[in-house]
Amino acid sequence: MRLRSRRSVQHFANPLAALDRQAGDPLLTARLDRGSAVRAAQRLNRAAGTLAIAVLFDSAMEHYRGSFHNRAMYTPLVSASLSLLASAHGTADPRSGAHKLRDGIYAFAGLAGIAGTAFHVYNIGKRPGGFSWLNLFYSAPIGAPMALSLSGMLGFLSERVRDNPPGPPPLIFGLPAGRVTAAMTSAGLLGTVGEAGLLHFRGAYHDPAMFLPVSVPPLAAALLAESAVGRSRVRRRFTTWWLRFTALLGFAGVGFHSLGVARNMGGWRNWSQNLLNGPPLPAPPSFTGLALAGLAALGLMEDHPDE
Amino acid sequence: MATTTRKRCGRTGVSDDPQHVPRARDGRAPDVFRHGGWVPMRCYGENDEVDFAIVGTGAGGGTLACRLAEAGFSVVALDAGPYWRPLEDFASDEHEQTKLYWTDERIVDGENPLQLGSNNSGKSVGGSTVHFAMVSLRFRPEWFKARSKLGYGADWPLDWREMWDYYTEVEQALKISGPVRYPWGPKRPRYPYRPHELNAAALVLAQGAEAMGIDWTPTPLATVSAPRGLSPPCVYRGFCTLGCSTNAKQSVLITWLPRALAAGAEIRDLAMVGRVEVNEAGLATGVHYHREGAWHFQRARNVVVAGYAIETPRLLLNSATARYPDGLANSSGLVGKNLMAQSNQAVWGLMEDEIRAYKGPPSLSMTEHWNYQDRGKDFFGGYCYMSQGPLPALWATTQAGAHGLWGDALMRDMEKYNHQVGLKIVGEMLPQKRNRVTLADEKDQYGLPIARVTYSWCDNDKRLIEHSLRFMTQALEAVDARDIWRQEDDTCHLNGTARMGDDPRTSVVNADCRSWDISNLWICDGSVFPTVGGVNPSLTIQAIACRTADRIRALAARGEL
Ligand SMILES: Cc1cc2nc3c(=O)[nH]c(=O)nc-3n(C[C@H](O)[C@H](O)[C@H](O)COP(=O)(O)OP(=O)(O)OC[C@H]3O[C@@H](n4cnc5c(N)ncnc54)[C@H](O)[C@@H]3O)c2cc1C
Ligand code: SF4
Repeated sequence: MRLRSRRSVQHFANPLAALDRQAGDPLLTARLDRGSAVRAAQRLNRAAGTLAIAVLFDSAMEHYRGSFHNRAMYTPLVSASLSLLASAHGTADPRSGAHKLRDGIYAFAGLAGIAGTAFHVYNIGKRPGGFSWLNLFYSAPIGAPMALSLSGMLGFLSERVRDNPPGPPPLIFGLPAGRVTAAMTSAGLLGTVGEAGLLHFRGAYHDPAMFLPVSVPPLAAALLAESAVGRSRVRRRFTTWWLRFTALLGFAGVGFHSLGVARNMGGWRNWSQNLLNGPPLPAPPSFTGLALAGLAALGLMEDHPDE
Repeated sequence: MATTTRKRCGRTGVSDDPQHVPRARDGRAPDVFRHGGWVPMRCYGENDEVDFAIVGTGAGGGTLACRLAEAGFSVVALDAGPYWRPLEDFASDEHEQTKLYWTDERIVDGENPLQLGSNNSGKSVGGSTVHFAMVSLRFRPEWFKARSKLGYGADWPLDWREMWDYYTEVEQALKISGPVRYPWGPKRPRYPYRPHELNAAALVLAQGAEAMGIDWTPTPLATVSAPRGLSPPCVYRGFCTLGCSTNAKQSVLITWLPRALAAGAEIRDLAMVGRVEVNEAGLATGVHYHREGAWHFQRARNVVVAGYAIETPRLLLNSATARYPDGLANSSGLVGKNLMAQSNQAVWGLMEDEIRAYKGPPSLSMTEHWNYQDRGKDFFGGYCYMSQGPLPALWATTQAGAHGLWGDALMRDMEKYNHQVGLKIVGEMLPQKRNRVTLADEKDQYGLPIARVTYSWCDNDKRLIEHSLRFMTQALEAVDARDIWRQEDDTCHLNGTARMGDDPRTSVVNADCRSWDISNLWICDGSVFPTVGGVNPSLTIQAIACRTADRIRALAARGEL
């Protein structure tokens, strides 16, 4: 599938070929367009799903740790599960056109994330010391709920991309879908870097590997931001590879964090405590989800140059 | 026999008996990070004249042993206490862990006799830091010139700016977990590790401080908030003052001493030094020590006494000779004098919510407001106060002592244990010559005269205590605590008794911890403090030890040792 999309990129990147295309069979072109839009949407579904998995497990563990003392603490579990289901459905769905239920679920995730952020901010502010480092370190993590919003937003974008008529490059709110997705993903990456940076600062960067998530993804974010505003008719090999590397790093992060769990008293033998005390295993794949979204954005821009 | 022991300890991890049989011997010392583990240790013969024989391996002696060995000196450090492996030797049991305290016989008297043992002296390789509460604070800079800048006590012969750098070295060596921004005093580098999460008791302090309009902070602590080498992060079980069985606590035992061993120092456990030998020329030649049922002599070019503020003067006094009839290094007559405890009064109350103060290190939050604020005081000196987390047996003892509760009444009161909160000071007490360590006629198990410790509070001490109790009562009232009561009689920490200074007539050692009278006799522990300040002393003791090591190296390089 990736091969096909690359071929089509070459095809459209060549102005002569584009002329060819205009002169060719309009029906076939429409199908091709639709196909690539759906593929891009599916990739965004996959990205949204990856983020949803991260949020589901992360919030389950953290809120379990907090004994679910407030019923609202179940919300991210429900929302992320739904988002995960919707994403699986979307990934397998070859049809074009937005899906109402998926749309609803994604919108809910977006809103739940925002509400969660508000809750967390309120929680931090009411503690002695207010918005101090101490409370940022140990109160409800300020950035975590935004991962749910991001999952929702990526899903929502995916539905918008799917919903585009054949022909002109897919648009979201009147803007080229690829650029919008790239910009949003870039911002999402930066936010996630902020969260990882804060928590790794809390861990005093005691292991040099802890610098990876605050150095690799920021460059990915910068490259994506450049793609969002830069020319669309160029192939961005380096950006593509860097995003793939970021995606991999997200997975590798789970490995690093499992080493971190082992360094707590009792190590993995004492997993029931250390999974909660150690670095969160499900957190790093957020980077994978966002990097996948970035790749989808690049794909969109390459398939549908807007200049 | 040795081989059998090695096999047993090394292979199966079954413990030997560290309280009765020395572990550090035959070229190896216990590996404090592994069950039944060993690390190689360089060993010296008793006839080898080592560069330094150090008496005591606590905050002063242990740190100095490490830094001197790393500087290339040959070092033998002796401690009367056992060499623990915390992972296998420390139980979660308040009574079992009394094995960490120095509970040899001592006589206490004066108007306010000190309660000795648990709260002020340890007997272990690693010294009192094995069961200390890990609070790691710097002095207020002016305290180094208390007499000339603040009008009380005595000046130190040290410059605070130099000390600031040594504090930084120690904070790095112990990976102190502290706040990102410290509210008081001159700028300090960022603490190597981030602060610990606060427990409910610490939050009560914070709320009280905010209600009183003063600053508070998470306490800088010598227990790690993230992994460090083989130390896991703190697990917040609150057994700190009974010995940390996880090695999260960065005691001398698991920080400076492994470094000392790696650098070639020898550490002798269960080795009680009874006498420092001096020759006719008036120089120290080594130490007599008791180990495995017999007296031995270790030759040394220099002797360092670092037994803490009671055992240090006791050893110096016990080492009297015809030439030094009043004890060693005592031409000023000040050995044993100016003993300073620190006031450790508390205000306790009950909260409506469950607090469970025992969770986590006992003093997770604190305020140094009254160390840095001089207005509104009717006393000299300062105090900080901290949140508290007494474990159940200690709390029952406190209740029994303070309120005479016993039997059913005590049982009923203990039911409120989980709602208890307390604020406790570490307050400055002024140096007084009448507060002193002398020798009693009675002898201990080694046949050595025991220490008589005489202690009385002065009016200034009482005014400081009263001020603190008033203020902390208001702070607890401000957070709606009820049944508030004052614990008025506690003290902690021991300092003074061999003060440093610029003048041989008014001090025992100079700024380098070198005794004025005997040029190869050094004192490097809490005894050298001319004043105590209103913070816990161990960070300062370790900083002084680091400085002393650097000075010794510099003097040696100039041929002035
Ligand atoms: C319960 C408790 C809590 C504390 N909490 C804190 C805190 O939170 N923060 C802080 O800064 N300080 C704290 N302290 C104080 C701190 O531990 C001491 O001030 C510090 O350890 C003193 O260092 P030192 O080197 O002078 O003596 P020590 O650390 O006590 O070391 C002296 C060593 O010398 C040995 N020794 C003595 N005489 C002889 C001899 N004749 N022969 C052989 N060996 C001998 C002893 O066995 C001992 O191991 C606490 C102390 C206690 C007891
Ligand atoms: S609370 Fe932390 S420092 Fe204290 S004993 Fe437990 S692990 Fe050690």
